[in-house]
Amino acid sequence: MISSGTLHVISTELTVGMFALSGVAFLLCLLQKGPISREAVAHWALLGGLLATPLAIFTGINASPGDGLDNPLLANKMLLSMTSAGLAIGVLVRRKRGGDVDSRHAGIGMVSVALMLTTAGMGGEYSRSETLLFFVPKDTVFLFPIWASVILIILGLAILGKSAIEHRS
Amino acid sequence: MRLKIVVVLILLVLSTTISTANPGGKGDDVRSRDCAGSCHASSSSNGISTAILDIHFPDEVYAGLLIEVQTSVGEVEVSSTNMVGLALLINSDGAKDLPANEGWEIITDPNGGTNNYVEISDSFSSQNTVNRSWTLRAPSEPGIYELYLAVQHGTPEGGVAMSGISEINTVFVEEVPENLPRLADDWKPTNVRGIGEETTITIETINAESITVELMNGAEIVTIPVEDNQFIIPASVNPGIVQWRVILEGEGPTQTSPWFRLTAQEPGWEIDETALYLQGIAMFLLFAGLVLMRRPAGEDIVKNYDNTADISVEITPAQSVEVVSNSTETEDAISSPPLPEDGLPAGWTMEQWEYYGQEHLEKISRGEI
Repeated sequence: MISSGTLHVISTELTVGMFALSGVAFLLCLLQKGPISREAVAHWALLGGLLATPLAIFTGINASPGDGLDNPLLANKMLLSMTSAGLAIGVLVRRKRGGDVDSRHAGIGMVSVALMLTTAGMGGEYSRSETLLFFVPKDTVFLFPIWASVILIILGLAILGKSAIEHRS
Repeated sequence: MRLKIVVVLILLVLSTTISTANPGGKGDDVRSRDCAGSCHASSSSNGISTAILDIHFPDEVYAGLLIEVQTSVGEVEVSSTNMVGLALLINSDGAKDLPANEGWEIITDPNGGTNNYVEISDSFSSQNTVNRSWTLRAPSEPGIYELYLAVQHGTPEGGVAMSGISEINTVFVEEVPENLPRLADDWKPTNVRGIGEETTITIETINAESITVELMNGAEIVTIPVEDNQFIIPASVNPGIVQWRVILEGEGPTQTSPWFRLTAQEPGWEIDETALYLQGIAMFLLFAGLVLMRRPAGEDIVKNYDNTADISVEITPAQSVEVVSNSTETEDAISSPPLPEDGLPAGWTMEQWEYYGQEHLEKISRGEI
């Protein structure tokens, strides 16, 4: 039998490792240095990290001692991870559609990785009260009103739809 | 460049601080004994605690009834956080050592929860002894039972995880006398309440003819009126603990319960979860969309100078194939299919042709276009 806490450590190591590898490969893409396989490594590692993320989230929720989102850090973790996942999906789909791995593409990939690693770092702050991320907000959550989130969702769907149409045309 | 990267990496490594694991604690929980790293880490990173540990039981412990157990930790120097983890266990093996395995139930731990492992911060020192109370329900089967008190903590210098465990503490659990006035077997006290809330508690008893409730108010003990087995503990204006107990009288010997602790807590942090989830979804969709909307930096330039269609019109089909075949020497056109006789399809860019041209040609050959 294995506890949720231990399983969360395993799944988090997997996620963070994948994202970290992706980040290094994206850095090489940005610098235009290193082996030609850097692009493939960056995107496949990013995909692997994304696939492992839900497992880390679910085990993390089970391992959390409280009930639900009872800490600002958890709320910020969720917002950061969703933002990171959105950027990562965008980077992967854009590459799948044939987008160039230019400096901006690599930069966005690195931002996605940085956000996910920050999310993981906040887990250390939450569970062990220690982190190197001193700038992480511990008591503040920037929460939009529901109507603003709905507008942003509609805007996001419209942008996604438009990009899909442009891609087909 | 490599030298700079190496220097940066070295600086990052050197910027880390060396500390014991979990300096902020691990949180109260139901836990087996912790090895404090001795299972895997080197012996220099862990040590044996010098703490004097003891467990004190009441004189009479009846099967299935609530008792108050006092634990004490003395003569120990800890880290600057003054934190020590305490665990009540039934053996010293580190496995199958939870009190619940032998029928003990933790009704109230020292922090107001129901865990066998708690972390407490107090004035631990080599001259001081720190006591804590636990409310337990004894096993339902009479017999001789063993309990241990384990601790884990840091050191003033840091860097070493200390752990220790008490000597065996034996307790004899007796059969409940037939007419003993007592609290009902399934009754549990309320452990936690919010600040500013009155607490109404209903007592359920067996063989009790009269009930008296006493509340500890500082050093003074006051009696609270009980009506229909119910009484009210006044609201607390600050976070803290109030202690109360019940005295049960009946045909059997009078029984006094343990001191029950009611902890007043500040309201926990709350958030509108619907708004949070919606914002998370919005962030996901918005940022994915923004990345997908981004055009390549040089796309306009490519379009302006993309005269492939003009060239393909001017040259013969054979030349076209030849031109395309010659271009296989360049990396960009390795996967590019041959252009049709009439050039690129209307509205297509060369980049799109490279990736989707083959599929287009196959559709033409199947007569779908």
